[in-house]
Amino acid sequence: MDASEKQIEMISKMINSTKENLQPLSVNFIFWGSLIVGMSLIHYIFPQFIQSTKYSSLLFWTVIPLIGMTITVFYNIKNRKNIGYETHLSRVIKIIWGVFNVSWFLLVIISLLKGVNNPVPDILFLLSTTLLITGLIIKFRPILLGGFLLMLFTVYINFNPTINFLLVNMIGVTLGMLIPGITLYTSKLDE
Amino acid sequence: MNKSIDKILFNPIRLKIVSTLITISECDFKHLRKVTESTQGNLSIQLKKLKENGYIHIEKSFKNNYPQTTCSITKKGKRKFEEFFETILTYKK
Repeated sequence: MDASEKQIEMISKMINSTKENLQPLSVNFIFWGSLIVGMSLIHYIFPQFIQSTKYSSLLFWTVIPLIGMTITVFYNIKNRKNIGYETHLSRVIKIIWGVFNVSWFLLVIISLLKGVNNPVPDILFLLSTTLLITGLIIKFRPILLGGFLLMLFTVYINFNPTINFLLVNMIGVTLGMLIPGITLYTSKLDE
Repeated sequence: MNKSIDKILFNPIRLKIVSTLITISECDFKHLRKVTESTQGNLSIQLKKLKENGYIHIEKSFKNNYPQTTCSITKKGKRKFEEFFETILTYKK
């Protein structure tokens, strides 16, 4: 083997040493899917408790997700530190979900200022578009399908405002995040 | 006629560093030490050389009171790596 062949082999080895790891993304999906489904379930079973005061429901739906965001941000930072590098793909995904978090927070604030009681359809629509973008970027069909189903759900609830939003939330998030997250997690472990 | 080879990338440690950084957005010192299998001192020297020649960008920060070095490739570094790769391919032919 001559020097140039050795160099090509070395370059190839280095490029192959940095693998794309989508497991943290799947953990985020499972965490958020479980959290939102769990919260919707608690709200559905104990409405008198969650809606005991004018702002209790709003506090429930903002404080817990904010705690969730803090947990996931710390998890992602720690994970990035352990891996030692950030790929272009993980950077793009980080930016997309960062923008989603800011948009979600703004939607809650806007709905509060406008006196809109239920920002769920808007949040679910935002979630569906973010899922579709993520699914298309990482080329993972279950997430793409989840995002698409969630988008259909959002269209449906806009034309059927009497439907129970907590049930919609549970079904939508299960289809859009929980199932695709578990599928992504198990598919990466199988590799 | 074969092109002249880039002396900066001809060094195996420096070539390993740039080959790693070409595929990723950024990378810390610890990971580079692992993939290049070099000593801390040698890696620091090679990183400095690459930085001085504008091939990579180095960001030094502190996290939990520990110094952290993060490296990323520059546009010049990408171009030089591509040229280097084309050159070694001509040598192979």
